[in-house]
Amino acid sequence: MKTINLVVDDKTITVPEGTNIFQASLDNGIYIPGLCYHPKLSQFGGCRLCMVEVTERRTAHRFACAHPVSEGMIVKVNTPKVVRYRRSVMEYLLAHHELSCPTCDKAGECSLQDITHELMLSPSRFNAVRMNAPVVRDNPILELNRNRCVLCGRCVSACKEIEGVGAIDFQKRGIKTYVGTAFDKPLDCSFCGGCLAVCPTGSWQDRTLEFRGRPWEFKKTQTICPYCAVGCTIVLNTKSGSVRRVTSDDYIGINEGNLCIKGRFGHEFIHSAERLKTPLIKKDGAFHPSSWDDALEYISKRFQQIINEHGGKAIGGIGSEKCTNEDNYLFQKFCRSVLRTNTIDNLSNLRSPSLNSLMYESVIRGIASTSLKEIEHANTLFFFGTDMTEAHPVAGTMARKAIRMNNASLIIANIRTISFSGTAKNDIRLTYSFGSQIPFIHALIKIIIDEKLIDLKKAESSISNFHELPLAFDTFSVKEASQVTGISEEMMRTTARLLTKSGNCCIVCGRDVEEDPLSRDTIKALMNLCVLMNASSPDTGHSKASLLFSRSHNNSQGVNDMGVVPEFFPGYSTTSDVSNRENIEKQWGVKFSDDIFMRESKNIFELARNGALKGLYIMGENPLVSYPNGKEVLEAFQKTGFIVVQDVFLTETAQLADVVLPTVTFAEKEGTFTNMGMTVQRLNKIIQPSGVDAKPDWQIICEFAKKMGYSYSYASPKDILSEIESVVPIYSGINYDRLKRKEFYWASSVSGSRNKSAKYLLNIVQPESLEIKQNKDFPFVLLTGVSLNHQGTFSRYSNALVSVSPECFAEMNRKDAQKMNIHDGDAVVIESSQNKVTLKAKVTGKSPEGIVFVSEDYEWIPINLVRTGVYTPVKIYKETGQI
Amino acid sequence: MILPLLKGLILTIKRFFNPNAVVTQQYPEERPKLPSRFRGLPELQIGKDGRERCIACGLCAKVCPSKCITVEGATDKITQRRYPKVYELDAFRCIFCGFCEEACPVRAVILRDTFELSTYQNKNIFDKKQLLDLTKKRKISF
Repeated sequence: MKTINLVVDDKTITVPEGTNIFQASLDNGIYIPGLCYHPKLSQFGGCRLCMVEVTERRTAHRFACAHPVSEGMIVKVNTPKVVRYRRSVMEYLLAHHELSCPTCDKAGECSLQDITHELMLSPSRFNAVRMNAPVVRDNPILELNRNRCVLCGRCVSACKEIEGVGAIDFQKRGIKTYVGTAFDKPLDCSFCGGCLAVCPTGSWQDRTLEFRGRPWEFKKTQTICPYCAVGCTIVLNTKSGSVRRVTSDDYIGINEGNLCIKGRFGHEFIHSAERLKTPLIKKDGAFHPSSWDDALEYISKRFQQIINEHGGKAIGGIGSEKCTNEDNYLFQKFCRSVLRTNTIDNLSNLRSPSLNSLMYESVIRGIASTSLKEIEHANTLFFFGTDMTEAHPVAGTMARKAIRMNNASLIIANIRTISFSGTAKNDIRLTYSFGSQIPFIHALIKIIIDEKLIDLKKAESSISNFHELPLAFDTFSVKEASQVTGISEEMMRTTARLLTKSGNCCIVCGRDVEEDPLSRDTIKALMNLCVLMNASSPDTGHSKASLLFSRSHNNSQGVNDMGVVPEFFPGYSTTSDVSNRENIEKQWGVKFSDDIFMRESKNIFELARNGALKGLYIMGENPLVSYPNGKEVLEAFQKTGFIVVQDVFLTETAQLADVVLPTVTFAEKEGTFTNMGMTVQRLNKIIQPSGVDAKPDWQIICEFAKKMGYSYSYASPKDILSEIESVVPIYSGINYDRLKRKEFYWASSVSGSRNKSAKYLLNIVQPESLEIKQNKDFPFVLLTGVSLNHQGTFSRYSNALVSVSPECFAEMNRKDAQKMNIHDGDAVVIESSQNKVTLKAKVTGKSPEGIVFVSEDYEWIPINLVRTGVYTPVKIYKETGQI
Repeated sequence: MILPLLKGLILTIKRFFNPNAVVTQQYPEERPKLPSRFRGLPELQIGKDGRERCIACGLCAKVCPSKCITVEGATDKITQRRYPKVYELDAFRCIFCGFCEEACPVRAVILRDTFELSTYQNKNIFDKKQLLDLTKKRKISF
C-alpha cells in the first residue's frame, strides 16, 4: 500500500494513502478534538470541531476528519485562529446542552466535557435555551436523553453500519432535528448497545447500571464474554467487588469493541441471589447444605464404592462447554486417571458427534479457518445453515465489516429465511428444502466443474484423487438437484460463480448442518467444495476458501480440544491408538486398563439408560434442557444411582443430583477459553465470589482427587496450562502470561506446519437427502435454533435479558397458521409423541410450510423434553381447541 | 528587676477580678459560641420534596482528601431520580476540610456546627439516616 508522509504539529508521520488527517493524527498520538469522528464508522463531519490549518499548495482551514492526507502536507492543530473557531463552536453546542453532569452517567468519560475543559470555556456569550425534551425510556435497557445530544450522528452510523439494523436515524430537519426511531415508535432493535458505546455525550444511557457508580470509581478489567463462541473481549467495570456494567474497548479483542446484548447487558447473573451458596447433599429427597469437606468426603466415598463394586467404567463424566480449558483438561484427566473411566463426553460432541474429527481433519488439511478474523478479510461469505445474527451476533458484525470494507459478496443458505441485517452488493439468500443440503452442495460442485469456474488442470495436479470426481458426478444432474432443493438452477449457477470469484472465501458451517443426522456427509461435501476452490487457487501462501465451523458456547471448541470426548485424548489424538495411550500414560504417570477404552455404545445417555452407569459426574452443564432429547436424559438420570453436579445455579439437572457443588462464574475465575475460530484467549479473575462459598472447578477437582487418594499439585490455572502446553500437541507454544497480551491461534500453528506441497484429497459422498417420514398424527417438523437474547443458564438469571425477551415463541408459516386459524399471539400446543408444551404463536414467513420453529435457548421452556431427536414430528393445535 | 514582675502581677490581678475578661467556657453547661464559618460534621440537606437533596453524583467522595465518604447511587423506580442508596461518612477519618460542601453541585452537603463526635465504639460511621436526622433536628424551613 502506498504511504504518505506529512507533518502534523512539527511531527513527521507516515500513514497509508487515503487516511484522513484525523485518523492519521489519532494513530500517531496527536490529539485533535472532535465529537463526530469514530475510527470504526464512516465520516460524518457534523460536529465541526476538528478544524485544523492545512498547508498543501496554499494554507487553508480544513476539517481533519473529512480531509485526506497528501504528500508533504503540513498540519497545525492548535493555531490561535483554529482554537478561536473551536471555542465558538463549543459555545453553540453548549448553549442548549443540558447541564446535568452530576446526574449523567457519562460524566467523567464524556468527550464534550473533556473538550469544554480543555478549551477552558468561560460562561457562554449566548443565552442558554434548554430543550427540555422528555427522556425516552421505552425499553428496559437503553435510555435516550435528547437534551444531551449534540447530533454527531455516531449512534446513527453505528446502528446502520456496525449492527446493520438502522433502528435510529435523524428525525425532522433544521433546528428541530433529533435522533430517534421512525414515527417515535418504541425502540425495536437487537439492543447491541453500540449507540451507547459510541455516544460522545450522555445521550444514550445504560439503564441496567441504575446509577450504581460513576466512571471514575470503576475498576476496568478486560475478560472474555461467557456466552457465545465468538469470544468477544469485554471490559468489566467493577466497584467495591461487584460488577456494575460491561463496556468494550475498540482497540482490544477480536470484536473491536462491538458487542451484542448478551455481552453488554447480560452480566447480572454474577450477583444473582439465586446462586448456589454452599454444597448441597440430598437426603430423603431434599437438599441440605453441607460443608465442602463433608460433601467431597461423601462423593469420594460413594464413587470409591462404585469403583470397587462395578469398576471405573460404571462412572460417567460430562464436561462443560462453559468452563475453561483448564477445568476441562483437569476434568478429563481426573476421570481417566482417578475414576478410571473413559465414559466422558460433552454436550457439543453429543449433539454433533461427527464434527470433531472432521474439524480436526480440515485443520490439518489447511482448509479450516484459523481465526474468526477471516470473516472480516473475506471477499465472499457463505453462511450455510447458520443464523449469524442470532447465534453469533458479533461474527455477523464482522461480516458486515467485510461487506462494507471489502465489498464482499454474501450468500446465505438455510432451511428457514434468515434475517441477516446488512445488504451486500451481491447478496444471495437461499432457502433449500428440508434435508437437501448435500444435493445443494453437490450441485455447486457440479456447476463449478461443468462451467470450468476453476482451473481444472491445476486442480487435477494438486488433488490426488481428482479422477474420481467426474465418475461420482456423472449421474448427478443439477436439474434434479434443483427440484430436490427447491432452488432454481439459475440461482445455483449464480451462487457457484460468486463462490469462485477471485478473493478469499469464508464458508461458515452452521449448527443446523452440524447437528443434522447427515452432518458427516454434508461437512465432507463442504470440505470437497473447499478443496476444489483451494486446489485451483494460485499459491499465495494461504488458502483461498476456508471453512469455519460454528460452535454454540464460549468454550465448545475448548472442551473438545481438551479431550472431554471418548474418542480423543487432549489434542485430538485417538484413544483407540495404543501409542497415544502409552504417551499419555507416560505423561500423567498412570496406567490405563485396556478395557476402559472399549465402548458398547457411543452415547453416554444411552449407556446410562441401559443401566451401565452407576455414577455420573456433571460439570457445569444442564443436559436435561440442552440435549435434544430431554426425556432420554431424564430416564438416564433416573437409572443412574449417584449424580454429582457442579454448577453456578440450581439447574434442572442439579435438582436431580445427589450432591450439588457450587462453582464460580467467569468473572470470578481465571483460565482460558477457545473460541470457534480456535483462538485461545485468557480471562481474568476480576472479583472474589461474594456471599457464596463457591470454588473454581479446577480447585474442586483437585480437592476431590486428594480425597480419592491422588495428589494434584496445581496452584493455579497457570500450572494446568503449562501442563496442557507439554501434553497437548496442538497447544504447544502457549504461554499463560503471553496470553494476557496476545491471543493464541492453535489452528494456524497446526496448519502452518502442514506440508504445502502435499496434495489435497477429496472425500466423495453420495448426494442423498434426508427424508422425514410423513406422519399423519404428527404432521409438522419441530425445528429448534438459537436465540439472540438468551443462551444457556446464565441469561435467564440476567434481568435485562429476560425483560427484553421474556417469552419464547413458536414460529409458524403463514399458510399453516391460516389453515388452523391461528393468529399472532395465540397460545398453541406443540405435542410430540413424548410430551407437549404450550407457547405463543408467531406467524411469520420465515419458516417454510410444515415446519415450526422454536428457540431452544429459553431454558425455562422445556422444548427439549418435547423433542425426540434433532427433528421431531409434532402436531400443533390451538390451546382452547381440540385436546 | 522587680518592676517588670510587678507590672505583670498587676495585669494578672486585674484580669483575675474582672468578670468580663473570663475566657473559660462552662462546657457542657454552657454552649460554645461558634464562628459562623465553623466547619463541623458534613450534614446531608433535605430538599423540597422532603427527601435528601443529594443526587449521588459522587463528587464529594471523589474530592474528599481523607476518603471518608462512600456513596452508592441508585435509581428511584418511580421518579427515575438518582438518589443515594448508601451515603456513609466515616467521622474518624473526616478532617472537616469542607471540600465536599464546596464540590456539591446541589448544596446537599453542608458542614454545620456538629462537633461532639466522641464515641465509645472504635468506629464512628454516620449513615444516610443519621446525617439526615442531624438536619431534621434543626427544623430548617425549606
